[in-house]
Amino acid sequence: MSAPAAWELPPRAVVEDEPSSRVFGYVALRVTGLMLSVLVLGHFAVTHFVTDVARDDSAFVSRRLSSTLWIAWDATMLAAALAHGAFGVRLAIADYSTDARVRRLWERVVAGVVVVLFVVGVVVIARAANA
Amino acid sequence: MSTIQIAFLVGLLLVLGAVTVFSGAVLRSAARGGRGASLGFAGRRAEHGELGRGAFLAHRVTGFAIFAFLCLHILDVALYSVSHRLYDGVQHVYGTAPLRLLESGLLFAVLFHTGNGLRLLAVDGFRTSPGRSLQLLRIVIASAVVLGAAGSALILAPLV
Repeated sequence: MSAPAAWELPPRAVVEDEPSSRVFGYVALRVTGLMLSVLVLGHFAVTHFVTDVARDDSAFVSRRLSSTLWIAWDATMLAAALAHGAFGVRLAIADYSTDARVRRLWERVVAGVVVVLFVVGVVVIARAANA
Repeated sequence: MSTIQIAFLVGLLLVLGAVTVFSGAVLRSAARGGRGASLGFAGRRAEHGELGRGAFLAHRVTGFAIFAFLCLHILDVALYSVSHRLYDGVQHVYGTAPLRLLESGLLFAVLFHTGNGLRLLAVDGFRTSPGRSLQLLRIVIASAVVLGAAGSALILAPLV
């Protein structure tokens, strides 16, 4: 009897022989990806189709961020998008770096950029929500 | 053109430059038959066929492009918190013809990346066979093209 093909294995069996940090990365990438399939397409539709991009001015932002739904939407999207981007880029870094030190350096650069942008985004949303 | 608009355009050039460099590295590695031929657990779930490998590369390049734009976009939206006048200055650039073209490209990238990502979820979650996976990929590409074209028509309509 031949070994089952990779696509025949249930995800659980595949997960078990992976280091837990990589498994966490894969799961986080998929969970945030699923969330973003709704959040980002909804965001794009509202800012480009429902309202033309030329009319997405500060008055439009003020109107939108006076609603709890959109504050929650934007905050969730901010966190999910940055996490998804960070985990996704980390996969690419792992695939293309041959030197472990270079890999760690790029991982730190991406982590630093993502943390700074997250703080900036949270401050902007919090200030708009309290305005 | 105001200083903030010039700064935004410089940021946009940096984003486009980063995407070009990243895409070059991905394609060079692929041409050498290098790593990065799967998005599955432990690299086991290799993509099947020419189309599947193309989808892997396109997923990676569109993902990076969207992430690079996201970095700039968070900063330009942050201007709203600094001054509404600065925010509106950059916002005005988003309505110009070159930016509308980029937004249409971004829409195609987001649609493909989303559809292909959902396909990967289906492949991982429901033990989808390679044949079915390729069939799903064709549906993903067709929907991205059709929805992207329809959305682009809306985005570009104010220009005509």
